[in-house]
Amino acid sequence: MVVLNQKVLEEINRIKSKYHDSRSCLLPALYIFQREYGWLSPEALEAVGEILNIPKATVKGVSTFYAMFSHKPTGRHLIQLCTNVACMLMGGERLLDVLREQYGLEPNITTPDNRFSLVIMECIGACDTAPAMLVDTDFHGNLTGEKVIDILEKYK
Amino acid sequence: MANTIKLTIDGKEIHAPEGMNLIDAAELGGIHIPNLCYLKGLKGIGACRLCMVEVEGLKAPMIACTTKVKEGMAVRTKTEKVLETRKFVIDLILSMHPLDCMTCTKAGVCNLQNYAYDFEIKESNFTRKKFGFSIDEANPFIKRDPDYCVLCGRCVRVCKNQGTNVLEFMGRGVGSKVTTANDKPLHESGCTFCGSCVDVCPVNALLEADRWRRGREWDYDKVKSVCLLCGNACDISVSTKDSRLVKVNAGAADGSPEKYICAYGRFGFDCIEADTRVRVPMKRVNGQLQETTWEDALGIVAKEMKKAGENAGFITPAGILNEDALTLKRLASDAVKTKNVDSTASLYGDESTLLSGGADLESADLFVLVGLNPNQWKRALPALDATIRRRVNAGAKLITINSAEPNISSVAAVNLVGDEPETLRALVKAIMDKGIKADGELASAVSDAPVTEMVEAAAGLFVGAKNPVILSSPALYPAAANVTLLKGAAVSMPVESNAKGIILMGIKKEGKTYGEMTTEGMKLLYAVGEVPLSRRPSTDFLIVQTSHLTEIAKQADVVLPAAAYLEADGTIVDYLGRLKQLAKAVEPAGEARSHREIFVALSEAMGTPLKEAKESETKKLAKMKPVVAFNPFTRREELEGATNEIMQSMNMHVIDGSRLLWLTESEKALA
Repeated sequence: MVVLNQKVLEEINRIKSKYHDSRSCLLPALYIFQREYGWLSPEALEAVGEILNIPKATVKGVSTFYAMFSHKPTGRHLIQLCTNVACMLMGGERLLDVLREQYGLEPNITTPDNRFSLVIMECIGACDTAPAMLVDTDFHGNLTGEKVIDILEKYK
Repeated sequence: MANTIKLTIDGKEIHAPEGMNLIDAAELGGIHIPNLCYLKGLKGIGACRLCMVEVEGLKAPMIACTTKVKEGMAVRTKTEKVLETRKFVIDLILSMHPLDCMTCTKAGVCNLQNYAYDFEIKESNFTRKKFGFSIDEANPFIKRDPDYCVLCGRCVRVCKNQGTNVLEFMGRGVGSKVTTANDKPLHESGCTFCGSCVDVCPVNALLEADRWRRGREWDYDKVKSVCLLCGNACDISVSTKDSRLVKVNAGAADGSPEKYICAYGRFGFDCIEADTRVRVPMKRVNGQLQETTWEDALGIVAKEMKKAGENAGFITPAGILNEDALTLKRLASDAVKTKNVDSTASLYGDESTLLSGGADLESADLFVLVGLNPNQWKRALPALDATIRRRVNAGAKLITINSAEPNISSVAAVNLVGDEPETLRALVKAIMDKGIKADGELASAVSDAPVTEMVEAAAGLFVGAKNPVILSSPALYPAAANVTLLKGAAVSMPVESNAKGIILMGIKKEGKTYGEMTTEGMKLLYAVGEVPLSRRPSTDFLIVQTSHLTEIAKQADVVLPAAAYLEADGTIVDYLGRLKQLAKAVEPAGEARSHREIFVALSEAMGTPLKEAKESETKKLAKMKPVVAFNPFTRREELEGATNEIMQSMNMHVIDGSRLLWLTESEKALA
């Protein structure tokens, strides 16, 4: 169940004052909900629709269009690993094996301890430091297998 | 008028209005540009990529539905490049579409099938892709099978455009799917089951739920007619097979904001074959209704009517046809010799409140809604609600004036909540302050009206509008029509389909009113059609001439079987004053006869034979000449009865005798 906290409401109201129509607020509002709750539950989508006075179907349509929104629960930390051309050439796919061996992670899977979720990204705009990944909103580049494990050990 | 643009399409010179897209322009010249997603009246979205054409001077092909005509443009719709591209698109779509045309209900009217035929594609050249989406057939109205969907988005757009917002694209790309908010079945998603999506689906993805093996389009006989179930009187197209009703579709022209019918109009026709139909005449013998012959029944009624004479009374709903009404009027005055004929229209209106002028809703750029609360979800004037929302989506503005905020207020530019006549007075004052002049009487009536900021804003919209249309409840019409002394047109919205026609045919206050006849006690009461009465009024003799054995019919002394709607032809005068033609779609059930046939037979049985009213006669009477004059800013309180209740009780036999019962029951369960 979505418990609307004051912070979220205030943030959305601030967004509302920035745009002249509620449809323009939809994407920013969805981002806030995803950040706060980790994913967009049906209840969250309904809440967004109600706050912004946008039909439920429209909210769901927009949220499912964008790959960055998750419609199922994610772990405490979201790993977004790039395996697009530059990262692949620099060994991005081998990092996938490391994640598999170390944490039992597969793309679109959450670890049983709910610690990590993994999503494969199509380019995160960091080709110059390939292979690269995002953990939550933190960027990490020039990765090796050992480096990945070192980094992830900091996310409990 | 928009400027005319000259261009050529496939070498043919075409004159099209500025701003028109190439698909519509080509149609002016009789050229069809293939498409799956284009919908007349809505902005093209270029989703299906089929309407590709070549434009001279441009390298890449253009999408015809999103390209506007330009002076001197040379368009070619059938070049090798274009045909190749189109064939490729069809080929791709077919790779994900079931190839079961031999048993598909939409065969013959499926655009995809037609284009595949044109391009000689038997089977797709691509690997077959099947999604195996689940089918939504949990309701008795609409079957939704996403596996047939070609993702054209027509259903999504009509649903959005009329403000219902139930369907939407989920996901993106090849795996996207048209569905409801949480992929729930339609009846759990706020769907009103108007079926607009069914009307526009180019394939078999959205279909009437009961169509399986009930014939395909080429099997049907079709007639254009009018729905009589509420004051909107929408155009319908009725399909029959082997003399039985199969389906009803919206009948207005493509692109018209009035192309809409509600669930009642589309699915209420089941009631024509309901068990409650009265198929033979009945008379009361020893307290029980028994079947009898027409001759016997007519004899009894004729005798009783002669006996009652001027103490007889006739009541009718205002949904009977003009020809029926005029013949009824003659029966009463010439054969029975009574002045007591009245309709349910007198419960909410009269000559001065119902006979408004017409208005052109398609060019209206401002609607002022006075004292009305149209609501698609509650099925209160649903088509008016949809029409206004469609016009608003096309750029028109809406002002509501109501004592309580109406449901449609969410799309209004200004909502003026408060006493309606007072608000109208303030509005007129504010408009005049902005420089639109009026005669002395109106000016002095509004001189002391307090103008608020909101009224000021509404007045601004009115002054800026080219074709403002005021839509009002009958009780507020005289006050609302004052606004037209400044500009625009005013329309009084009736509760029933032919309220205006009934009055024009002369059924209006002469003798006793409907209210008086049903409460004061008559020697004889003759109820025509499905009057909103559940208990027998005090009367010595009660005749009910009806298509269904309603509560009141069960208490009658004689019941005469009448043709139901869709079983009689004739004319009505709709809310905009338009004379509309109804065509008989099926023969009356059993021994039922049209109202006017029964009236003529009765007059003969009484020994004073009358002629049936002909359409040539009713047409002459059906012209409205509304007087444009100042009226005091008051409401006609006596006409503000419970109009929704009248509507509901009048359509009870339709709901109870059709799959609409499922809808009302499931709504009750949810509430």
